[in-house]
Amino acid sequence: MSAQTSYFAVRFDCQEREILNVTSAFSHLLAAFLVAMALLPTAAIAGEMGAEAVAQRADALLAEEQFGGDAQTQAASAASDEIFFRRLSLDLIGAPPTPAAVTAFSLDPSPDKRRKAVERLLADERFGQNWARYWRDVIMFRRTEDRGLFAARAAEQYLTDAFNNNKHWDQIARDFITATGDVQQAGTTAIVMAQNGNSEDVTAEVSRIFMGIQIQCAQCHDHPTDRWKREQFHELAAFFPRIAVRPVRQDGRQRSFEVVSVDRGPKNKKNNNVRRGSLEHFMPDLNKPEEIGKQMEPVFFVGNQKLDSGKTDQERRGAVADWITARENEWFSKAFVNRMWSEMVGRGFYEPVDDIGPDRDCAAPKSLEYLADRFAANKYDVKWLMQTIALTDAYARRSASRVDDGSAPFAAACPQRLRGDQLYNALVGVLEIDDPSEDGQRGYRNLFSGPRGQVNATFGYDPSVRRDEVAGSIPQALFLMNSPQLARAINAGQQSTALGKLVAETLDDEAVVGELYLRCFAREPKAAEMRTCLDHVQSSSDRAEAFEDILWALLNSTEFLNRK
Amino acid sequence: MTMHLRHQIDVSVSRRGVIRRRDFLRGIAAASVAAGTLSWRDMVALQARELQQRGMSMILLWMAGGPSQFETFSPKPGHENGGETKAIDTSVAGIQISDNFPHVAKMMHEAALIRSMTSKEGSHPRASYLMHTGYLPTANVKYPAFGSIVAQQHPRAELDLPAFVRIGSGRDGSGGGLLGVEYDPFVMPVAGQLPTNAAPTTSTPRYTRRLDLLSRLESENAAAGAAFEVDEHQKLYKKASRMIMSSQMKAFDLEQEPAAIREAYGDSQFGLGCLLSRRLVESGVPCIEVTLGGWDTHNDNWPRVKALAGQVDQPLAALIADLKQRGMLESTLVVWMGEFGRTPRINPRAGRDHYPRAFNVLLAGGGIQGGQVIGSTDESGTEVADRPVEPTDLLQTFCKSLKIDPKFENIAPNGRPIKLVDGGTPVDELFA
Repeated sequence: MSAQTSYFAVRFDCQEREILNVTSAFSHLLAAFLVAMALLPTAAIAGEMGAEAVAQRADALLAEEQFGGDAQTQAASAASDEIFFRRLSLDLIGAPPTPAAVTAFSLDPSPDKRRKAVERLLADERFGQNWARYWRDVIMFRRTEDRGLFAARAAEQYLTDAFNNNKHWDQIARDFITATGDVQQAGTTAIVMAQNGNSEDVTAEVSRIFMGIQIQCAQCHDHPTDRWKREQFHELAAFFPRIAVRPVRQDGRQRSFEVVSVDRGPKNKKNNNVRRGSLEHFMPDLNKPEEIGKQMEPVFFVGNQKLDSGKTDQERRGAVADWITARENEWFSKAFVNRMWSEMVGRGFYEPVDDIGPDRDCAAPKSLEYLADRFAANKYDVKWLMQTIALTDAYARRSASRVDDGSAPFAAACPQRLRGDQLYNALVGVLEIDDPSEDGQRGYRNLFSGPRGQVNATFGYDPSVRRDEVAGSIPQALFLMNSPQLARAINAGQQSTALGKLVAETLDDEAVVGELYLRCFAREPKAAEMRTCLDHVQSSSDRAEAFEDILWALLNSTEFLNRK
Repeated sequence: MTMHLRHQIDVSVSRRGVIRRRDFLRGIAAASVAAGTLSWRDMVALQARELQQRGMSMILLWMAGGPSQFETFSPKPGHENGGETKAIDTSVAGIQISDNFPHVAKMMHEAALIRSMTSKEGSHPRASYLMHTGYLPTANVKYPAFGSIVAQQHPRAELDLPAFVRIGSGRDGSGGGLLGVEYDPFVMPVAGQLPTNAAPTTSTPRYTRRLDLLSRLESENAAAGAAFEVDEHQKLYKKASRMIMSSQMKAFDLEQEPAAIREAYGDSQFGLGCLLSRRLVESGVPCIEVTLGGWDTHNDNWPRVKALAGQVDQPLAALIADLKQRGMLESTLVVWMGEFGRTPRINPRAGRDHYPRAFNVLLAGGGIQGGQVIGSTDESGTEVADRPVEPTDLLQTFCKSLKIDPKFENIAPNGRPIKLVDGGTPVDELFA
């Protein structure tokens, strides 16, 4: 699809909110048609369990649990097509829709267009990349040393392929838990590398990421608010004592790290730590921390499965991967469903998403139970789950700020701050700036180099943190307001910029405003907004500058930085 | 009181603060707390801060890489481990330091040395994190850097600038952590220029018009279900634009200093950083960190340390003298330190490797009694012989100097209360 198409002068009837003036929207219509043709669903989503049926049942359960059986009056109504479509695009492919795609969607009269849009976006290659970046952040924000970032790009690559090929979540989990190899090639080593191979930290992360259980709180004492005992953490750690991270040298120079299994001989002893360097895991005696402590046998705390002592690293990690991903372990499916639901609906059943378990409060236990059970029955099919959530009424509701007004959770969708990568994609799309290829960038600092890296360094946040606790920062505001790069990209005096072309080619001010709104917010301006913008143009001495100001304001707005 | 109020209201820009308050109130079932301007916890915080002695600041001179104790402030000229480094007399009888620091030697009466620092961490990132936060890195709790703690504990209502400024390049992995992005260090890669993106790209009237346009357009989104997000966003933008329009931004303009002062600090990047940090303290910034990297001298230790010391010596002495002359030294703690020391044994490449077991720190101001040495190492510099000081002891000492309660607890996102400093005792002898 040519982005040029959307530059044609288009008049919008701004008195009729959210309804396009069809006769004058010819160019968007044409583009819309082309989009629709090009993006017809190519791959049917594997969904023996019927995503739509499950979505309906989940909504019914939610209504029962949250709204006294009456979601109609107790929950917000469905969001407009435009809001829904921008939300869906950002959630599934990590980028807002193009003006042509929004127009196509809005004009499509078919009653099942939302379902079709979900299918289309799930089949888009950007789906895998978007969620790969999300999980890269989940892992890398908890790195204990920056050199963990050596594995970041490979992890992103592995996950992109895995999600696009719809590798199921249990398989992905197993790959990460049992990974070995060069961390710049085997992306599945990322969790181990992010924790520098430290068995206790890897144990904590495997539990947190795949089961949402913060078992490491029991590392030093019995968990204060959970049932987990100190022994249980150390029994879990006994699956991971034989992992090591080693430098990989080539031509005498260190070029990478590798994750290896150490089944014989001592690992490197470091810092006079008696427990490090052993092939077995020891639980320290809190009264005699300088002594080696008690040797632990591997036991998986959820189902109490035990492994004989003396097993190899791969036998240990293979066994615990089996038990973590087994259907009997409800926390494996619940953790994933809860996380994806929280990302898409804007609020989790459990919060934060990585602190769940039998002793935590769940906002709608039956609904989560049902979805998690169906997810497991569907063999942890990730695309099926995303499709299911996207088809619920809960997902499609209008959004409202999350405030304590006493309304039930899930009565409305919650606005979500864009992640760094989503924001970067949005900026690249709106401003039509080149996105330099990241191929061949290695080493650990490169994740934060280049334009995408800089935006990620400034706007990225740990996606496991409750979203209403993620605050904006001064450097973010300064970047959007004042960065010379953005100033150049919105320079309307230059024909080389998207705005420059638009302003030069479109003499109708209303059309320019309309186009800018479509680009930035994937919707048309409301009457009051149009008036404010036109007033600004009329009161400015320089038309091009006036539109620079408008685009500047839109890029700096809450609506641009969030998905509603 | 008005100033305090303004600060407390500003602080609600931090989403975390708002939520924490909310959770807290929910926790004690205080639904009946009236929805006034200030919450119950605000009131408590206000009263606590009224009582708190104010106006303390900290300048941390961070020597990234781990400076050699032998070539800085713990020379061992009589021993083979000491290498070629000579010891020189200082302004305090009985205290000698390495000949790399002739200017600091003249200010020794204002500075104290700890020669018995000891820790177990010999890897750069872990040791840097430990010395900055007092904790080892973990996946689940992101401990705040001490500078972020100072920023949190010494809020300044009148301050338009960021409360924690880090000057110089280099990431050490610590920041606001569980305190939230509001307490992240504001990074100035280069001293002597405006901060990154701090200058509007348009004229001031046009910039003001843009802000006004933004604010009017935002109201539509607020009305459409994003009232809270818009409100937070507007507060942030007000804060950011107040900062860049503030007269306090002059602090970044080093040209305003008289030539004599500029000369005293020298023209190295580190010297400019020291000068900038003094100007920032004057403007009310409670914590500044100036980084100088390159101390990881596994080879060619002597020429490299000499060059680095050459960048530090004059500005460090000038900073102490300047603060003293302005009557600011009593309220400003100056700390010179790195993540660990270096091996007593000289390696075959004429270098020294990582050595956390015995290293040193220099402190001045902030109530520290100058002209004294705490602790010692044995003749070979291998072991701490007397008065070991661990990283938590050092952080306790910072707290004592800056009148911060080390037992103050923040709540991590996973609900755990985290003390500012867990364990350790302050080095009381340092204080007069």
